[in-house]
Amino acid sequence: MPAVQDTIDRVRKIDVDQYKYGFETEIAVDKAPKGLSEDIIRFISAKKDEPSWMLEWRLEAYRRWLTLEEPTWARVHYPKIDFQDIYYYAAPKSTPGPTSLSDVDPEILKVYEKLGIPLKEQEILAGVQKTDVSELEEASDNVYKSGRVAVDAVFDSVSVVTTFKKELAQAGVIFCSISEAIREHPELVQKYLGSVVPTSDNYYATLNSAVFTDGSFVFVPKGVRCPMELSTYFRMNEKNTGQFERTLIIAEEGAYVSYLEGCTAPQRDENQLHAAVVELVALDDAEIKYSTVQNWYPGDADGKGGIYNFVTKRGDCRGDRSKISWTQVETGSAITWKYPSCILRGDDSSGEFYSIAVSNGYQQVDSGTKMIHLGKNTSSRIISKGIAAGFSQNTYRGQVSAHRKATNARNFTNCDSLLIGDQCGAHTVPYMEAKNSTAQFEHEATTSKISEDQKFYVMQRGIPEEEAIALIVNGFVKDVIQQLPMEFAVEAQKLIGISLEGSVG
Amino acid sequence: MNMHTQPQRTPAETALIDAFGDRLSLLPGDGAVMLKRDDAIEAIKHGLPTRRIESWHYTDLRRLLNVVPAFDPAALAKAVAPIVEGSAVLPVLNGTSDAKAPAIEGVAVQRLSEKLIDGSIVLGLDPYGSDDAIGALNTAFVADGYFVDIADGVELEKPIELQNLQAGGQTHVRLPVRVGAGAKAVIVERQAGEGAALVSSVSQLVLGEGAEVTWLIVQEQPDTATHLAQFKAHIGKNAKLTLFVMNAGGKLVRQEIMVKTTGEGADFKLRGINLLAGDAHTDVTMVLDHAVPHTTSTEIIRNVVTGKARGVFQGRINVHQYAQKTNAKMACNTLLLSDDGEFSTKPELEIFADDVVCGHGATVTEIDHDHLFYLMARGVDEKSARGLLVKAFVAEVIEELDDVTIVEALEARLDDWFLTHG
Repeated sequence: MPAVQDTIDRVRKIDVDQYKYGFETEIAVDKAPKGLSEDIIRFISAKKDEPSWMLEWRLEAYRRWLTLEEPTWARVHYPKIDFQDIYYYAAPKSTPGPTSLSDVDPEILKVYEKLGIPLKEQEILAGVQKTDVSELEEASDNVYKSGRVAVDAVFDSVSVVTTFKKELAQAGVIFCSISEAIREHPELVQKYLGSVVPTSDNYYATLNSAVFTDGSFVFVPKGVRCPMELSTYFRMNEKNTGQFERTLIIAEEGAYVSYLEGCTAPQRDENQLHAAVVELVALDDAEIKYSTVQNWYPGDADGKGGIYNFVTKRGDCRGDRSKISWTQVETGSAITWKYPSCILRGDDSSGEFYSIAVSNGYQQVDSGTKMIHLGKNTSSRIISKGIAAGFSQNTYRGQVSAHRKATNARNFTNCDSLLIGDQCGAHTVPYMEAKNSTAQFEHEATTSKISEDQKFYVMQRGIPEEEAIALIVNGFVKDVIQQLPMEFAVEAQKLIGISLEGSVG
Repeated sequence: MNMHTQPQRTPAETALIDAFGDRLSLLPGDGAVMLKRDDAIEAIKHGLPTRRIESWHYTDLRRLLNVVPAFDPAALAKAVAPIVEGSAVLPVLNGTSDAKAPAIEGVAVQRLSEKLIDGSIVLGLDPYGSDDAIGALNTAFVADGYFVDIADGVELEKPIELQNLQAGGQTHVRLPVRVGAGAKAVIVERQAGEGAALVSSVSQLVLGEGAEVTWLIVQEQPDTATHLAQFKAHIGKNAKLTLFVMNAGGKLVRQEIMVKTTGEGADFKLRGINLLAGDAHTDVTMVLDHAVPHTTSTEIIRNVVTGKARGVFQGRINVHQYAQKTNAKMACNTLLLSDDGEFSTKPELEIFADDVVCGHGATVTEIDHDHLFYLMARGVDEKSARGLLVKAFVAEVIEELDDVTIVEALEARLDDWFLTHG
């Protein structure tokens, strides 16, 4: 059935009203002058109190960036970005020391409260300030029992607060902002930063290497199972700023960590740039689970405004039997350009990618993954579910390759697309490259709309149409939702509901 | 941003451009045709496509096309027996059509050189885009071929076999075929020879309302030849096209298939077999446009890769916004039999309509060990068991064709390949 007028009308109504995080907060900020130059990079580096090697690293990336050209191969269209018209550094003025919360601008706390992230919980805030060891232990006991989450909150360019740091430190886990890590743990940062995504990797990763302002750093030592979920919350607040965060997660031999990031931004008419880099390193027998709920402002009903989300995420299964799993729920951003990948270097290592990409309005999504099989007996699994509605374009682009020495490489890929309305597009562009005869790759993709039969079946049992469609869509994305940590699974499910509200039935 | 400088021309690019200068006076065509040729060679002057051009991602023509043989007026290719006995044979030998081609009832056959001279096929000469290197190469150099026009309602009992045979040098051939409303035909496109040739061949098929055509491309070039081919078709209302492609030869092969459904009820079937051996590079690239509502398609490609061969299948299904009720399915299965071989596949779906059912599947694997065990447990030695399984894997696609004589003829070609490539 072609989209009925009713559906089209409903699609039209959504997005502006649906985006709940579009508020802007008045906070005194400290900004670098607009534009990009070596001086700005020196400014950022100085602001961050960085050692000279870091500045050199940034400048080298910047010089490299000047020689690169913006990639055009993705199926996204946007006016040329003026990189001189962006603020590369904006920080709330009252930035406190990262461990003390009492000085945090109450406005910022209000923002997080509005966003409903765990940070707002007063007990946790109090918990961070506890210094007494016995109380600490009690607190960490609570953590085990209640499954609470440690949060690193990044506001525009800087990390404003990291919770549960001390509790984590007791387990040997380092969880802090990357700026702090550069100062406090330079040996780890120097060893791993840029080892997965080199500064020369691609246009946006190189730009990020030059100007990144903050992000999270996680180090889980040998044999440690991180006692709680770690989480980062990104918020872009200032006008005309770009957010360039850098996340580095290292899991040593036998370590395990589960990490979640969430992001929102205010509603604005102009486009804002977000170019992040995430690097994961898993050594022998380590496991990293990285989940994203991306809800940047998608733009209004006419496609005006919204975030350009150009992100490089890559995991390196460096050790034998290591595992990296990416789970993403993409509902926001005007443009998403993002391919969380796994380099399966260690023997018997495995990579997973679970994705739900929902696009509505005039959103453009070009997302997928890369699974590079290098080691023996490596396996990967890709489950991607795209839902396109409104006037959006939703592309899955993925690559699976087995190199000469990757004997017994295994891959299973499944990407399904659901189309809601006849003005949107769903595209699938998988690349499969096998150079080893023992490799076994399977790929399947389907595109369809919600089948009338399914809808009829559900409605026949007395369930109204709107609920029936919600039920079917939820069933469609179930495989991915199951992979999310429980608290976020609920959030993600709601988010998908909100993103599609009005467009289905 | 740094400025891009024009990279230096490769020897192959230079050879092509020089050959055009030398050849120009011998190329047939009226003023309009010659202008098209000039445009085409300009496109080649901009450089052959590299892997940076998305449609050539796995076949870097600029790097792979190393040697361009000179035109060889002395080359003498011989016509061969048609694969189906009793077929009407239209031979093109070393790029030249036969003035005494047999007459076929209900079919008008004209030498393409005549149509170039009178300019009546000028419209079909345009390449389809800036990345259409084969179209440009062919338009620049095409000298002959056949124009075949099957009248409305004519049902041919025997196949027409278009033979493009070479014995070295360069040949550039074009084979436009129009099939009238309600007509039925089996057309064999035979691509073979025995020289280290550069062959470009463009087939253009237009199917009228309700026409039914089975088109078989049998490519058996020697392992020294470069074979760059294009098959373009428009399928009209309620017309049916079954395209069968068998690539069983060539050193550097690119077979492009561009099909568009232009009338409601159109149906397209593609069945393909790629048999790769030695250090062959074989690329089959398909672009299928479902441009109107209520059209259907299925594509099945089976590949066998041995030796150091590299295989590529790119298949894109475009479903236009108004093409509701499209039903399209594509599958590409590959048996990778050697560690030195490789296969890359890129099955794409581009969908702009919502009421559609589209899907694709792709697999790359080795021979199933259970199957092998099953046969060997019954006393079949390993080599024969493998042979049986590989053959069954590709023969399955042939057996889907309805016509027994065609199935037998194709299986004979298949046996030939297995005989020589064990």
